[in-house]
Amino acid sequence: MEGLTKIYGAGVSAVQALRGVDLEIRSGELIVLLGPSGSGKSTILNILGGLDEPTAGHVWFEGQDLTALDGSALTEYRRQHVGFVFQFYNLVASLTARENVALITDIADDAMMPQEALAMVGLTDRLDHFPAQLSGGEQQRVAIARAIAKRPRVLFCDEPTGALDSQTGIMVLEAIQRINRELGTTTLIITHNAVIAGIADVVWQFADGMLAQSTRNPVRVAASELRW
Amino acid sequence: MTIAMRLGWLPVLDRKLLRELWRLRGPALAIALVIAAGVGMVMMSVGMMRSLEATRDAYYDRYRFADVFAPAKRVPVALLPELAHLPGVRTSEGRITMSALIDLPYVFDPINARLHSLPAKGRPHINDLVLRAGRWPDPARPDELLANEAFLKAAKLGLGDEITVILNGKRRAFRIVGAVLSPEYVYAIPPGQIFPDNARFGVLWLHEEVLAGAFDLRQAFNELLVRVDPGTNVVDVIRRIDDRLQPFGGIGGYARDQQISDRFVTNELNELRNMTRILPPVFLLVAAFLTHLVLSRLIDTEREVIGLLKAFGFRNRVIIGHYLKLAILLSLGGLILGATLGIWLGRGLARLYQQFFVFPFLQFHVDADLFLMALLAALFPVLTGCFIAIRRAAALTPAEAMSPPLPTNYGGRLTGALTQFRSLDQLTRIILRGLARRPVRTLLTAIGIGAALALYIASASSRDNVEEMIRITFNQAEREDLLVTFTEPRGRDALTALARLPGIRRVEPVRAVSVVLTHQGISRREAITATDTGADLSRLIDIDGTVIEPPKQGLVLSASLARQLRVGRGDAVEIEVTQGRRPRWQSHVVAVVESAIGSPAYMRLDELDRRMMEGPRISGAFLAIDTDARTAILKALRETPAIAGISEVEASRRALRNTIAETMGIITLFNTGFAGLIVFGVIYNHARVALAERARDLASLRVLGFRTTEVAYLLIGELMLLTLIALPLGIAMGIGLAHYIVSAFGGDLFTIPYALSIGTMARAVLVVMAAAGATAYLVSRRLGQLDLVAVLKTRD
Repeated sequence: MEGLTKIYGAGVSAVQALRGVDLEIRSGELIVLLGPSGSGKSTILNILGGLDEPTAGHVWFEGQDLTALDGSALTEYRRQHVGFVFQFYNLVASLTARENVALITDIADDAMMPQEALAMVGLTDRLDHFPAQLSGGEQQRVAIARAIAKRPRVLFCDEPTGALDSQTGIMVLEAIQRINRELGTTTLIITHNAVIAGIADVVWQFADGMLAQSTRNPVRVAASELRW
Repeated sequence: MTIAMRLGWLPVLDRKLLRELWRLRGPALAIALVIAAGVGMVMMSVGMMRSLEATRDAYYDRYRFADVFAPAKRVPVALLPELAHLPGVRTSEGRITMSALIDLPYVFDPINARLHSLPAKGRPHINDLVLRAGRWPDPARPDELLANEAFLKAAKLGLGDEITVILNGKRRAFRIVGAVLSPEYVYAIPPGQIFPDNARFGVLWLHEEVLAGAFDLRQAFNELLVRVDPGTNVVDVIRRIDDRLQPFGGIGGYARDQQISDRFVTNELNELRNMTRILPPVFLLVAAFLTHLVLSRLIDTEREVIGLLKAFGFRNRVIIGHYLKLAILLSLGGLILGATLGIWLGRGLARLYQQFFVFPFLQFHVDADLFLMALLAALFPVLTGCFIAIRRAAALTPAEAMSPPLPTNYGGRLTGALTQFRSLDQLTRIILRGLARRPVRTLLTAIGIGAALALYIASASSRDNVEEMIRITFNQAEREDLLVTFTEPRGRDALTALARLPGIRRVEPVRAVSVVLTHQGISRREAITATDTGADLSRLIDIDGTVIEPPKQGLVLSASLARQLRVGRGDAVEIEVTQGRRPRWQSHVVAVVESAIGSPAYMRLDELDRRMMEGPRISGAFLAIDTDARTAILKALRETPAIAGISEVEASRRALRNTIAETMGIITLFNTGFAGLIVFGVIYNHARVALAERARDLASLRVLGFRTTEVAYLLIGELMLLTLIALPLGIAMGIGLAHYIVSAFGGDLFTIPYALSIGTMARAVLVVMAAAGATAYLVSRRLGQLDLVAVLKTRD
């Protein structure tokens, strides 16, 4: 990321969400992005995920400038390289766990089998259940399986534990950590919850649209050891 | 900002209402269009019908159209005072009425004419004329006459032109000084026919002494016209008149409803009323149903806001009131649009029909009851539909609405079954499960689209039906080229004489006699048509195309006449001939035939000859001719004094097309237009609501890397699937509705067969597909505007 700036609106009502952010993410790293509401962390994720365009600056992904891509090229970027995990899971209610994952594996080039992805998040026995028949944690794990089944280069998780209790949240984080370790997927987690920072290689602290602090953890804590 | 400030004086909820309305302007417009189509259709049709009927009545009244017509051979003028004093007679007038041929130097086709005398002084007291152009004939100029406007236009004749009329075999030149309309000739129908043919049939009004001189009727008349006192039994008056006229060759009086022009007008108005009585309420019903469907789904998507309002402490009553207001505002647009459009189109249509019927003026007024009826009919389903949906939403506790909603459970038997089909792609699976999860709604939506399709089919079917009627009539029933009628019944040797003309391929005899048919006190004045067995040119064809041979003995009746006389097969009917020796006899009804167009009563010529006690006599002949010889044959026929009328079947076919086909054509055009509007409204509404309901799923898929086209498939695929379900439903309903409309119309002069064509159904399907295609295009354009960022943060 070079000089990433984002301004919403214009004139007196303009809001500067990002004020020139320069950052680099190494392949395979797990990054946790902390910060209060309005600090710009979601804006970063939206731009990196190809959902939004910066007002100024560039985003380089494996030598390609994302800011130079048009809408359909961004769709292709998301389709081939990006996995998303949402706070509210966003599963398709009318598809079973297996089918929700198949939704993505059907359109990706080098995808796993749906059951393989679901096995990675520990859901082998819930393959043919509909979202309504799964708990919140199980739904989020299906969402993670859906996100990683296509073996994405990067995985973006927006408040993945935000709607879950701590015990379930830890199970979800375990799954994310395992994917990062076993598949080498570069992972970016946005959260309000500072405890989660322990599982990261790098922790970015955002405030007022700028990077306030960047810390490299000497040791990564296993998700199972987190408590909140 | 500025809008918010301007709305400052309104309560907050009402401000929300107005902004909501603005946000929903797309669906609101579609809802308004559907309601407008339903309401507009009712207003248009009923307004037009009332207007045409009021116009006809006012026309008849203002120009003193006769209540009773009593033809005779020769009645002395001296009898008039006595006739005028018969009980029930308000006014009476004698006139001379005759048939003749018109000879125009540049028109070769035979032109039949009906001649009426004008009173020596002043205008007719009964059957007054509307002078459209020119002037009344000068009493001092015996060669001046008036002609009906339609004939002058069709024959391209102008005021001041000279025409030759063959009066009782003598050629005589006249000058046209005025073009007129008459309540008696709203439709000018040649004798022996049932369709107007203005180019070949003219009505002329001449000085009394000219006709009296030509037909030896000095100090006499041969037709009595009567207007009866209000509330008088017309049948009694006719009986009294018949008694008085019988010694003078009276052949039986008849009431206005038996007069051919009035019968035709009534028939046409009935046909129109039939089309406007059945279809518009169905339109309104369908529109209401669709509005109900769309509004309740729209309110379902507002569930969250309703929960929020409750959490803020708004009372249920206030919330329900708020959404009812929204619904009323949404439908009000349609109501106003529909009413305005309907009144405007109704007036336009009435004006069109005014020209078609040639009424001299038009009475158009919109009655308040009509407006009120449409208002209630449209509002009722809107309000009930919304009320149910809002109550459902308001029944939630605020907490339920504020907490993350549980995903809909798709674990049902029907939806779960799909899990086994592994080869199905996931998007199709989403579509199928979505439809299967709510089978009632799926079915209702399909029925809605189907109903719109059915309306289109039923509206368009009338054109097929008329075409079929024309086909049956002219390809199967009337296959002759010419029909000649004699001045007097003649012996069979006339046939031989005709057959001897060069170029005649076939000659078949026909005899028509005027009769009064009576059954259990009900009498009808009709003509019996009699032919030989094995006739090939003019045949009686029933509505399914079966040839009906005249029976050896007894009578065949048309279904409409049988209905009027309340007779069925096997019943005996009293027959009284009103000409010649006036024989009477009883005859059994051997068959009742539902025929498109055809004589209402039919029997065998040899039996009629026996009954008439005049020996073998015929009144005319059907001729099949070589086309090359047409000119020579017509010339020869015209020079034969015994021939009173010549009609060409091709001209009748054209005339039929120009009258019925045109009457139906106008209204059909409007009906199909409205149906098309509903088709589009339904499909568009459905797609818009589906888009609103699925917005989150669709945006999630876009974030996950699905292309716009793939996401569009979810919506469009569902739409197409629903449309596919709707097609057979709609076709079935359309066929049913088309059948019902045909069966509901019992015409007096003709019966319309049911003949919905594959072409019409295909066209209807195409209209639906086009509407679906246009909707798909409009909706996929909106998919580009989905907010992808929002779905990351929001729950449902």
